[in-house]
Amino acid sequence: MSIEDCKGASSMAYDVPADLAEKAAIMREFGRRRAAGEPVSEELQAKQVNATNDNYTTGPEPGERIPDFALPDASGVLRSLTDLTGPNGLLLVFHRSADW
Amino acid sequence: MLEKNGVRIAAVSYDSQEILRGFADKHGIGFPLLSDHDSGVIRRFGIFNTNIAAGLRAHGVPHPVEYLVAPDRKLIRKYFVQNYQHRVTASAVVLHEFGVVDEQAPMITLQSGALRLEIRLSSPSAFAGQEIGLFAKFNLEPGWHVYGMPLPDHYTATSITFDDPKVIRQSFELPAARPMEITALGETLPVYGGSFQGLGSLLLKFPIVAGKTVLSGQLRFQQCSDTMCEAPETIPFELPLTIEVFMDADRKS
Repeated sequence: MSIEDCKGASSMAYDVPADLAEKAAIMREFGRRRAAGEPVSEELQAKQVNATNDNYTTGPEPGERIPDFALPDASGVLRSLTDLTGPNGLLLVFHRSADW
Repeated sequence: MLEKNGVRIAAVSYDSQEILRGFADKHGIGFPLLSDHDSGVIRRFGIFNTNIAAGLRAHGVPHPVEYLVAPDRKLIRKYFVQNYQHRVTASAVVLHEFGVVDEQAPMITLQSGALRLEIRLSSPSAFAGQEIGLFAKFNLEPGWHVYGMPLPDHYTATSITFDDPKVIRQSFELPAARPMEITALGETLPVYGGSFQGLGSLLLKFPIVAGKTVLSGQLRFQQCSDTMCEAPETIPFELPLTIEVFMDADRKS
């Protein structure tokens, strides 16, 4: 359940390109195949995940305070961190997109 | 699950308010979806994904991290999963942080000699690719014990493992065992007696066909009294689990 435990879940057998354009080529091909409903090979899937996760960062460390912020919700209402947090805390999920 | 324990949920993405409203309406999302359309908060958290070139649709997304935050803004724990399709279930978070199990999750009971084990998943259902929690409650009759770790080769430690292909990563942990001097053998060995509990997590593979299924596992242990030992035992079991329909499918339609 810790960050360390989560490493190695995906196949890491493929090299990760350091170049942003090469990563983009992988991501475009992955996106194109998905959008077209074409099969995505395990190799392409792994390359996509590896390119996306290269040098990943995970932000604040346990024990530190997270940045305070306020953001609009789906109805356009500005929500502050205080207003979002329950009596015992908040599970704050950063995710890629609700659109695709 | 989290709400019952006083923890609320909120989700942040770079989507516009319109997209979030459409998603919330379509799927009946019961927690706030927040729009960080210029990725400003994502940057302030230091999790902006710099691997994605400008011009790509995904430019602006964060690395997928989940933060469990205390009311004073102090970070309790964070979860990051390499493959963004694999997410930790809320029930697994609740189990590990608060020791609370979803009572609707089916429980199975194993009994052998002086040992009784109640075991259940943290939730009755999950998506393929998610991580779910595992809860195991052991009870031994007075005068009996089972073994913990570390242990010499010729003894069998207590373990729960899943040999199920649907489980791609697993962990199961018991509390530290109590050292017990076995006078007849002149050895001191780590043992458990009475009531004790173990927690685990199981990462489900992706994809899995939606519907009712079971996760196959086995309990291994060796029970001994103060004067005698039974042979090591392996008890197979199956935990029922419903695999939810993956949302990607209806998004494409």
